[in-house]
Amino acid sequence: FVSSHSNLDPLTETYGIPFYLQYLAHWPEYFIVAEAPGGELMGYIMGKAEGSVAREEWHGHVTALSVAPEFRRLGLAAKLMEMLEEISERKGGFFVDLFVRVSNQVAVKMYKQLGYSVYRTVIEYYSASNGEPDEDAYDMRKALSRDAEKKSIIPLPHPVRPEDIE
Amino acid sequence: MAARGHVQDPNDRRLRPIYDYLDNGNNKMAIQQADKLLKKHKDLHCAKVLKAIGLQRTGKQDEAFTLAQEVAVLEPTDDNSLQALTILYREMHRPELVTKLYEAAVRKVPTSEEYHSHLFMAYARVGEYKKMQQAGMALYKIVPKNPYYFWSVMSLVMQAISAQDEKLSQTMFLPLAERMVEKMVKEEKIEAEAEVQLYFMILERLGKYVEALEVVQGPLGEKLTSELQSRENKCMMLYRRLERWAECNALSCKLLLKNPDDWQFYILYFDSLFYLIDQSWAPPQEGVHCVEYWGEVHASTAQAISFMEDRIATEEAKESKHLRGPYLACLELIRRLRERSCPEAQQLGEPLELMFQFFVKFGDKPCCITDLEIFLDLLTPDQHVQFINRVMEAVPLGAPGEDGVALPGDTRALQRHLCVTQLSRSLGQQHALNTEGKLGLIKELKAHYRHGLQFGKSCLKTELQFSDMYCLMAAHVYIDLWLETGDQNMLWQCLGLLEEGLSHSSSNAQFKLLLLLLYCRLGAFEPVVDLYSSLDAKHVQHDTIGYLLTRYAESLGQFAAASQSCNFSLRFFHSNQKDTSEYIIQAYKYGAFEKIPEFIAFRNRLNHSLHFAQARTERMLLDLFLEADTSSPLEESVKSMSLCPEEDDIPWDSLRDNRDLTVLVSWNPKDRQLKEEHKQHSLEDDTLWLRLRSLTLRLIGCVSALTHLPASRNSEKTTENGVAAKPSSLQSLLSQLENTLNQATQFTEKQLQHPYPFVGPVPSRLAQALSSGCCQCQLSSLQLPLHLQELETAGLDESTELQTQISNLFKSLAVQLQDMLEKCKGDLLDVKDDQSKPQQFLLENLVYFVETVCIVLWVSNYCGSVLRPLKSSLQKKKKKKKEASTVTPPVLSAYQEFSSSLQSLLNQALEHIKSQEISLTALKLGALSLEGQTQSEAEETFTKTAMDKVQSSYLRSLQEIGELLKKRADTLKSLKI
Repeated sequence: FVSSHSNLDPLTETYGIPFYLQYLAHWPEYFIVAEAPGGELMGYIMGKAEGSVAREEWHGHVTALSVAPEFRRLGLAAKLMEMLEEISERKGGFFVDLFVRVSNQVAVKMYKQLGYSVYRTVIEYYSASNGEPDEDAYDMRKALSRDAEKKSIIPLPHPVRPEDIE
Repeated sequence: MAARGHVQDPNDRRLRPIYDYLDNGNNKMAIQQADKLLKKHKDLHCAKVLKAIGLQRTGKQDEAFTLAQEVAVLEPTDDNSLQALTILYREMHRPELVTKLYEAAVRKVPTSEEYHSHLFMAYARVGEYKKMQQAGMALYKIVPKNPYYFWSVMSLVMQAISAQDEKLSQTMFLPLAERMVEKMVKEEKIEAEAEVQLYFMILERLGKYVEALEVVQGPLGEKLTSELQSRENKCMMLYRRLERWAECNALSCKLLLKNPDDWQFYILYFDSLFYLIDQSWAPPQEGVHCVEYWGEVHASTAQAISFMEDRIATEEAKESKHLRGPYLACLELIRRLRERSCPEAQQLGEPLELMFQFFVKFGDKPCCITDLEIFLDLLTPDQHVQFINRVMEAVPLGAPGEDGVALPGDTRALQRHLCVTQLSRSLGQQHALNTEGKLGLIKELKAHYRHGLQFGKSCLKTELQFSDMYCLMAAHVYIDLWLETGDQNMLWQCLGLLEEGLSHSSSNAQFKLLLLLLYCRLGAFEPVVDLYSSLDAKHVQHDTIGYLLTRYAESLGQFAAASQSCNFSLRFFHSNQKDTSEYIIQAYKYGAFEKIPEFIAFRNRLNHSLHFAQARTERMLLDLFLEADTSSPLEESVKSMSLCPEEDDIPWDSLRDNRDLTVLVSWNPKDRQLKEEHKQHSLEDDTLWLRLRSLTLRLIGCVSALTHLPASRNSEKTTENGVAAKPSSLQSLLSQLENTLNQATQFTEKQLQHPYPFVGPVPSRLAQALSSGCCQCQLSSLQLPLHLQELETAGLDESTELQTQISNLFKSLAVQLQDMLEKCKGDLLDVKDDQSKPQQFLLENLVYFVETVCIVLWVSNYCGSVLRPLKSSLQKKKKKKKEASTVTPPVLSAYQEFSSSLQSLLNQALEHIKSQEISLTALKLGALSLEGQTQSEAEETFTKTAMDKVQSSYLRSLQEIGELLKKRADTLKSLKI
């Protein structure tokens, strides 16, 4: 119950307990937590595997990645992403994808460094609460070894609407 | 309920519109449509159920239930009705009815895989493990799919976990589960990873670690692939249980070579190393030992030292980012060697030097302080200054400016410098400064803070400023000063500084939390509401930090905010109870067996949360204080919250303290940090208070039941709903309250000598309540009904002694109330010598006074209801006898005297509140000069903002308290007899 630090960060969504439980029930292996020597929670990653194998869309998805402010700039996010990618490799995924706010430049830059590229823009994916306009998301992807030709990450020319993504 | 499969069915087509209306929240139309359909097709049961859902959702629970039962007794077997009923029962919080439904369905259609599986899930929702086991087997017999078989096995494991009798688990449930799995293993029918996981869980719980190890390392273990290092982690756990330290050591070595940054394996490596040294372990002489499975074993200090040196050398040679693990591990090894007084510790180097080097490498990372903090005790006290000077030399700062403060040129230098100040604070150097030194330090920290803001000009408002932590630290030094000297200005300036910080960094949770705590302690709840909502606390955070709100809102007289904060928390807890069951079911579906006991433990942890019980109790009390006997009779309020005096709904023995007491960062040295004993005291503190409140609540329930006992007071009528309080329960609750009060008094006396650290837990309301006199006074008033019951039986004629006793009680109650009121008098903001000192305890006392008045009025109301008939029968008698002498029995005159003194007390209180409101409004805090305090104009503005917030909050509290008291005063008339 000492998750307050990282989850009080406004850029990370704090999800409801049902949301976490749903992931733990379905994809327990995709939930990884990092602890510091002093016992502090440094960060966590949560994801899932989904998509059709036949259409070569079976992939790992990053649902949440959060690193507590005092443990940033240590490469922890990269490490957690690496772990998630490895799990997705083992499951025979074609790629790993994630959604990120267009405005979250720090994150976009970091994902690019980790080998992710923008596959498409999803219009008004994040709904705003206090009268501000809804925000677009980038759908970023990185091909795994199963997609040797990197077909899955060829960028789409046009943005899509949230209702058009499965 | 959107997607339905079979489109062909005409009934589906007919029902469609109703589903749509329900999905869109248009319940009225759904009901109408269902009625229309039912006219044409009387037997379309599902329409009835859908109508019931509509009714349920529009608040007509009883109608909905009756209608649903009409269908349920028919034992429907059509999919639509079953699913709709399931949804309805869930919304009604009656999951047990779903089991009945599907029990009937499988009886009628015994071969349906679907219904059997629904039945299993229905049992899972209510935790009927035995029936789940049977349902799982029944399913497997119809359709021999592995998951069904293992559902049954898991249900056995759950029976073992939930069994009260550990022996039963170990000798019956678990062995049975084991045999069931073994059967599948022998028949080579194991298919999935989840099945191996479950097998492992069973063996582990049985303590069969050797067998478990065989499974993990054998062919079955090959299925354990989903989790990273799943097999290694499991082996490691088993080695520890089996105390196979050689294997444990070899495996941690191997994993550390792979990932030299994984701290848990360093710990295991060291643990196992020292066990091996203590056992003088030697490699086995012959043959391939299990050890070779993993590789080298280290069993001497020399090996460990060289292993550490290798790790560091490898790290040094790396081009890429350095990892912290090897360096920290080296310090950890030194600590352990020193603990064992091994002279070899020196071979690894001098901690001061190693920590300095660590700082050189990682000083610009924000985590440097948390890393080094745990090793600071390796330094001797006389090394502290040397260490700080040493690390300070490694901070590139510019030339000192006019004010003598040297500033960093970029964010990396800033972070390094910040880390040094954090280290210095952790070493207690800041605390050792005298007042002047501390003020100088604050000045310096502020200079660094404001200077550092330039680096964060382009920061988004969701990002923190690079120099925020300087501001926070300065605030903590202010608090240190305030606590030491009692100088109120330190606190005002601290608030001002934090408000300033927040204005530059609106997302800084630490600023908000500290402000929140300070305002609470100052008795100003109004600003807290906004701060808390800007923290955007969600879900579990209501449990971990929400306690601050429920602790303070009510006690400071902000009743509306208090109700709201209780509601936040209660909504969270209630939804948890409902939601978790659904995910337990999902875990069965996906075979995440390991998670099922975890989910259940989590649900229990929340259900048994101390804060949950507090919020529940306080919410009910609050509702009564605010509403009962003003807008609706006490009896109705008590009934509507289904408060039953005989029943205690708090799990006292298993209360869980889920508060996050470490959420505030303060870099305090170890001796000032929160200790385990503080947590325990605080838990005891809160529990005692909760006990008092819960007993008070139940006693109010008793009083209500007595007052509204059906007119047939003397007849033998049985009471409805068991709400009526028997005198015996009144008696027993009273003596429990008395006992708890004694315990509380003793506890408080003891506790006052050991206050909590400032950033630790907040004291409960107990101490203030006791000193206000409210507990004793409430107890006295609640004792009255007992005596009046006696009087009722005895009558007026034969009870002189009893009457005197009651009269004395009335008198003493009036005196106690007057005493309480005296303790409320005084200025909330005491202005002296241009300093304003908040006296928030006056506000708390006032609230206790009002709460006590509420209780006294309810009790008086009961007294009136007993005395009234006695008086009128007396008058009748008099009329008959036409006696001239009108000697009023003492109890009647005492009662009348008491009610008039209540009247005057309330008037006094109202006047006091009025006059406080007037003087507070007139008070212009802004005009108070803060001169002599070297504050700049900008700083003064922030400080004044903070003062205004406190002032406005006090006013609001007074208004709310005044309003409630007025409402209560209006009920005085009804006390007449």
